[in-house]
Amino acid sequence: MKKESPKKKKMKKIIKAIWIFNWFNSCGFCELVPVVGSRWDMERFGMIVVGSPRHADVLFIAGYQTLKSIKVAQRIYEQMPEPKVVLALGSCTITGGMYWDSYNTIKRLDDYLPVTMYIPGCPPRPEAVFEACSKIFQHVKEME
Amino acid sequence: MKSDLKNEEKLLKELVSNYNVKGRIQRERRIWINTDKEKLISICKFVKEKGFDHLSAISVTDWLKEGEYEITYHLWSYKRKILLTIKIRVSRKNPSAPSVSAIWDRNAQIHEREMHEMFGVEFKGNDDLAPLFLENWQNSPPFRKDFDWREYVKKECYNKDNEREIVYHE
Repeated sequence: MKKESPKKKKMKKIIKAIWIFNWFNSCGFCELVPVVGSRWDMERFGMIVVGSPRHADVLFIAGYQTLKSIKVAQRIYEQMPEPKVVLALGSCTITGGMYWDSYNTIKRLDDYLPVTMYIPGCPPRPEAVFEACSKIFQHVKEME
Repeated sequence: MKSDLKNEEKLLKELVSNYNVKGRIQRERRIWINTDKEKLISICKFVKEKGFDHLSAISVTDWLKEGEYEITYHLWSYKRKILLTIKIRVSRKNPSAPSVSAIWDRNAQIHEREMHEMFGVEFKGNDDLAPLFLENWQNSPPFRKDFDWREYVKKECYNKDNEREIVYHE
């Protein structure tokens, strides 16, 4: 059997569940409520929302980001412990979406934050969110 | 049933006789008056004493062709249950108006701050007109009708050389 690296050993212990911190602007939260609710119920899949970025593994960003709010998002990102993952949810977050011609929204999220995965859609389907999160688990499982 | 407009008529009559404003009763519990900015403060003081404690909003309309801003003050009286709207016109080139923050305090202050940011109206007497929503904004105030958002965004945000963003330039 292949020998596991110390990092993998550690990660395997940590990855039992992922803790999520939400940074949602405008409609972002209500679009993700189905994921929390009983129909899709994210806690079954080991995802739980935490109240502080210092406890979080994953940062969910949803809703349009303005020049002002992205600064807060950056601070949240910096407060999260390593290893950390950023998931961008929905078209507004990623490209500005329907606010593409607004003078105050950001048009490219990757200029501001190192985004790990993009989940497009308006709103993104809960299945898509779960697939993104399962990829995080998968990544740890397959890592050397 | 036609409602009784006695309260509204009485108030409007007082305003017209004291300050020579143009006004009308829009409908039940709703009065509009037009005045100019020199009289604004004394009218505001007068109506505050009449029970108009609540300044719901200050809004600005940009009349581009006429070269004027219309500043609108929406006032509500809990006692009289009347919505009073005061409108003044200021020049668009160098817009300035007296601040009502001495009368309605912080309530007026925040609205004036926003209107200063979005339209560039200078409210004389307001102690804090610092930017509220925008971040490092150098351009002309964004809510002015001659400010073209699309042109601005094309210039600032979208790169013509980027194949994904070329669609915004077409």
